[in-house]
Amino acid sequence: MPHHTQTFRKIAACLAAGIALAFGASALSSIAPAQAQTTLRVAMTAGDIPDVTGQPDQGFEGYRFVGYTLYDSLILWDLSRSDVEASLTPGLATKWEIDPKDSKRWIFTLRKDVKFHDGSDFNADVVLWNISRITDEKVPHFNAKQFAAMRTRTVNIDRAEKIDDHTVAIITKEPDSLFYIQMSFWMMISKAQFEKAGSYEKYAQMPSGTGPYRFAGMVPRERLELTRNDTYWNPKRVPKHDRLVLQPMPEATTRAAALLSGQVDFIEAPSPDTIARLKSSGMQVITLPYPHNWHYQFNFVDGPFKDKRVRQAANYAMDRGEMVEMLNGLAQEGYGTVPPSSPYFGKPVLYKLDPKKATALLKEAKCYPCEVTLAISTSGSGQMQPLPMNELVKSQLEAVGFKVKLEVMDWNALLDVTFKGREKFPAYHAVNVSRATQDPFSGIFRFAMRKQWAPAGGNWGHYENPEIEKLITEIYNTFDQAKRDAMITRVHEIMNDDAAMLFVTHDLNPRALSPKVKGFVQAQSWFQDLTPITVGTTN
Amino acid sequence: MTDFTTATRLLAAEEEAPATKVRGYWQNVGYRLRYDYVTLAFALVIVLIVALAVFAPWIAPKDPYKTSMAFRLRPVGFRDFHLGTDELGRDILSRLIHGGRMSLLMGVVPVVFATLIGGFLGVLAGFIGGKLNMAIMRTMDVFYAFPSILLAVAISGAMGGGMANGMVALTLVFIPPLCRIAETATTQVRGLDFVEAARASGGSTGSIIATHILGNVLGPIFIYASGLVSVSILIASGLSFLGLGVEPPHPDWGLMLSTLRQSIYVNPIVCALPGVMIFVTSLAFNMVSDGLRQAMDVRL
Amino acid sequence: MWHYIARRIVYAIPIAIGVTVFCFALVFLAPGNPVQMLLPADASQEVVDLIMKTYGFDRPLPVQYWTWLTRAVVGDLGVSIQSNRPVIDEVLRALGNTVFLSFGAVMLAFSIAFVLGTLAAYYRGSAVDRGVTALSIVGVSIPNYWLGIVLVIVFAVELNWLPATGMGPRGSETFDLFNWSHFKHVILPIITLCMVPVGMITRTTRSAVSEVLGNEFVNTLRAKGLGELAVIRHALKNAMPQILAVMGLQFGYLMGGSILVETIFNWPGTGFLLNKAILTRDIPVLQGTILILALVFVFTNLVVDLFQTAVDPRIKRS
Repeated sequence: MPHHTQTFRKIAACLAAGIALAFGASALSSIAPAQAQTTLRVAMTAGDIPDVTGQPDQGFEGYRFVGYTLYDSLILWDLSRSDVEASLTPGLATKWEIDPKDSKRWIFTLRKDVKFHDGSDFNADVVLWNISRITDEKVPHFNAKQFAAMRTRTVNIDRAEKIDDHTVAIITKEPDSLFYIQMSFWMMISKAQFEKAGSYEKYAQMPSGTGPYRFAGMVPRERLELTRNDTYWNPKRVPKHDRLVLQPMPEATTRAAALLSGQVDFIEAPSPDTIARLKSSGMQVITLPYPHNWHYQFNFVDGPFKDKRVRQAANYAMDRGEMVEMLNGLAQEGYGTVPPSSPYFGKPVLYKLDPKKATALLKEAKCYPCEVTLAISTSGSGQMQPLPMNELVKSQLEAVGFKVKLEVMDWNALLDVTFKGREKFPAYHAVNVSRATQDPFSGIFRFAMRKQWAPAGGNWGHYENPEIEKLITEIYNTFDQAKRDAMITRVHEIMNDDAAMLFVTHDLNPRALSPKVKGFVQAQSWFQDLTPITVGTTN
Repeated sequence: MTDFTTATRLLAAEEEAPATKVRGYWQNVGYRLRYDYVTLAFALVIVLIVALAVFAPWIAPKDPYKTSMAFRLRPVGFRDFHLGTDELGRDILSRLIHGGRMSLLMGVVPVVFATLIGGFLGVLAGFIGGKLNMAIMRTMDVFYAFPSILLAVAISGAMGGGMANGMVALTLVFIPPLCRIAETATTQVRGLDFVEAARASGGSTGSIIATHILGNVLGPIFIYASGLVSVSILIASGLSFLGLGVEPPHPDWGLMLSTLRQSIYVNPIVCALPGVMIFVTSLAFNMVSDGLRQAMDVRL
Repeated sequence: MWHYIARRIVYAIPIAIGVTVFCFALVFLAPGNPVQMLLPADASQEVVDLIMKTYGFDRPLPVQYWTWLTRAVVGDLGVSIQSNRPVIDEVLRALGNTVFLSFGAVMLAFSIAFVLGTLAAYYRGSAVDRGVTALSIVGVSIPNYWLGIVLVIVFAVELNWLPATGMGPRGSETFDLFNWSHFKHVILPIITLCMVPVGMITRTTRSAVSEVLGNEFVNTLRAKGLGELAVIRHALKNAMPQILAVMGLQFGYLMGGSILVETIFNWPGTGFLLNKAILTRDIPVLQGTILILALVFVFTNLVVDLFQTAVDPRIKRS
């Protein structure tokens, strides 16, 4: 027995030492909290901190919080007003125009006297270096991941040239009157800082841009801290708070709980069922239209939807008001590819709820009951509340004579279906992948063009219309904006004529803010400007 | 080769393993159980939950799939929705009753399969010994290197969600411990004198050995497996909660908990109900398993 | 003794190898393309191929395994597809947080279970015993993720006493255990996670202590006039190795089993990391996390095993 106890004592001592060590280590790493600073703490829906090394990942949320905060692009989005859909505004380029002698040569005049956070100059060489970063796989600073993510935007670039220190030209392979829009997604990172770091891995710990916020530190997967850039080139957009803290919180209930318990001041996308609770605690809930579309893309080759009457019937079956009610007003009724507030909406045919007409159309098409299979996801970026929403769509479709099978899969599997196109999945008659409709190409054309037939592009169900083909070719060669916009609007109207999609709803971009957050102006955009926000002092 | 035939015979004997030799023992167990009111009460709970699940279509007052957007997230006692409605306006009471089917299936099926496979492998390894034992048991050791939830999440996470994948994952998780228990019990019995004697006496050796071995192996395996049902229900509902188990719109307690969680600010009581069901079921299985273990006097 | 320890360690090696094979193979059970999350929905085949090649997914499996293993041995678990950060950094950072959480939960469980188990053993067969036994079964039957949700609603949202999520007001790297505003982040996750170990440790304490109390020598001690408290203390001392062993095992289980609780509380540990890796199909992170967790588990079991052998030489034979 004595031997017994002795051994036990030794082990107990070891254990105690271990505990002390563990606790001591955690105590050592503590630092004093910063005092008397105003901090804006934001809960994002992303599962991780977006990539800080240039082109952010995590979708447009990454651009919103990490892209346009740390960095600038040549062209920026004007996010200063709520009343119209956000449009482009000069960024690191003060002017851009097509070469009058060459419809493939774009000339960008660069802003002078702009410095990166590390003090190095922004100039034409840096722009060329940044272009090669995601177009030329032979340069040492090539970024494969960002290349993949940007490919659809860069594929038309032939080369770039320096005209002088503050002017560059980008030459496209094909004439593309909308090319300049792509430059609004292109973050300019510091060449000098990258060369100091030597690799993207190292650079990620010391990123440097020209944006209104500087990098202040990061705990991977937990928080990104940014501080005010007092010397930002646009004095109007110098942040009105000292610090911006971004935290990934993918779960809506967690975000709501964090806001309610005072852990954060600003949350993205509160879920409809938390709204009443948030409001009752004095939180500000903000909604505004923005270019988002929650719809189904039809299969135009296999199954009942190849008949226009069936597509129209489905659209007439939608009680969109009921959908908005279910979402507690966090969405608006969807009647087209883009929301009515879009400059390209026009005067399309609107498929208002008409169950009798829907049933009649189905009978006329000799598809009654009409069996269809819809591919949907359980979650996903921009998908809103996919399960309840799809259930509601199903019940509305079935009320007019459809027989709906929901094929439920996870987000990746649905993306795979979308990406490979209808040929690989003839059993699916429609897919429910919501989209950003920020610019005419990604918002409209890629769902309508023959060239975009999946797997080559976003036209999942191989929709085609000869008039649209003609219009789009013309649009790409028209450099007069008014004429071009009229044609883009026409494309949108034709898609409605054809009932090219099952239009359901547009998200209203909800956010909830603590009462001590003031001055936020929500823009009709996927991107937002946080700089005007003031916050009551926190510790 | 001879080893193999014995094993086959052993398998055949498993079916007809006569209980006659141990009747006295079972009478004893029955006697002890009869006066264990707690175990009996929880056994009744299990019977009730199973009955609810089996006869769900007849018992449930409403169609568990029928959605109604007009009546979303209504409180307990709203009209004839006795336990309120969920985020799609479906009757929660009916979904809880039907949900028992999925949850019990996910609780029982993997354990049954794991018992058959693990038990067979364990008896085989213990009875034959040698290199085969080595091979089987060392393979099991690899799976022992993963905590059960981690292993289940890893397998169904890799294979993709879904009820079938979840069941496969859970079966794989439970095979190693059952195999180990069967192997230990078999090895112990195999070394006993009377088995050696029976083996020497020839004739119906195989079936005698099989009877002795199975008689001694089945008890521990049964007790252990009955305890696993509760673990299986908990892990399976956890998988569903993570989106790796039963898929919507099927009613499953774990999945209901996960989707109702989004509405917890609207109607917290209703959202807590699926958790209560998981808890009660898992508690009942644990209590009964514990009672059986005491009654059968098995030490694991 | 040393011979035995050496044998146990050598014996753990093939298991570790098996674990690496399993971790590696797991990933290829999966349908779909491992780099899909990186690509926009409409990426062309040319882009897919280039990215597959960049990440080495185009080579034969045994080659991929060998490359992965040889690097893993020197601590290089590759780079996260999602975040571009080295996997080993990601896992080790998360591991520390999970160790902290699991250790805290086991310690809390121990302090509760120790009292309950001792009481049950001392009043064996009484109402106290039955109550404690029932409580320990409740502990292992309660779905802890559900309990976590309920605790958040009550204590974070309604009462506003405790935070709902995260590890400290400024993240895990600045976590300070002795600062109340940091420490309060730990309370709910630890309570949630300690349920199962409370049940298990209570059970073990009860049976171990009552076994000792049933021994002849206890009667001798009593006969010698030792007070009841002294008797209990003596019994506990003898039961301690068994209790500590079960604590060790529970710690190992929590390390791998905290995935649900970490998800609920946004606790930046390995479970949270794993959940993210599964959702985003981040293969290197998935492999690395499971590998490290399994190795920790193997190591914990080995330590518990050696510990038991050290205090109770009889076990060595089996």
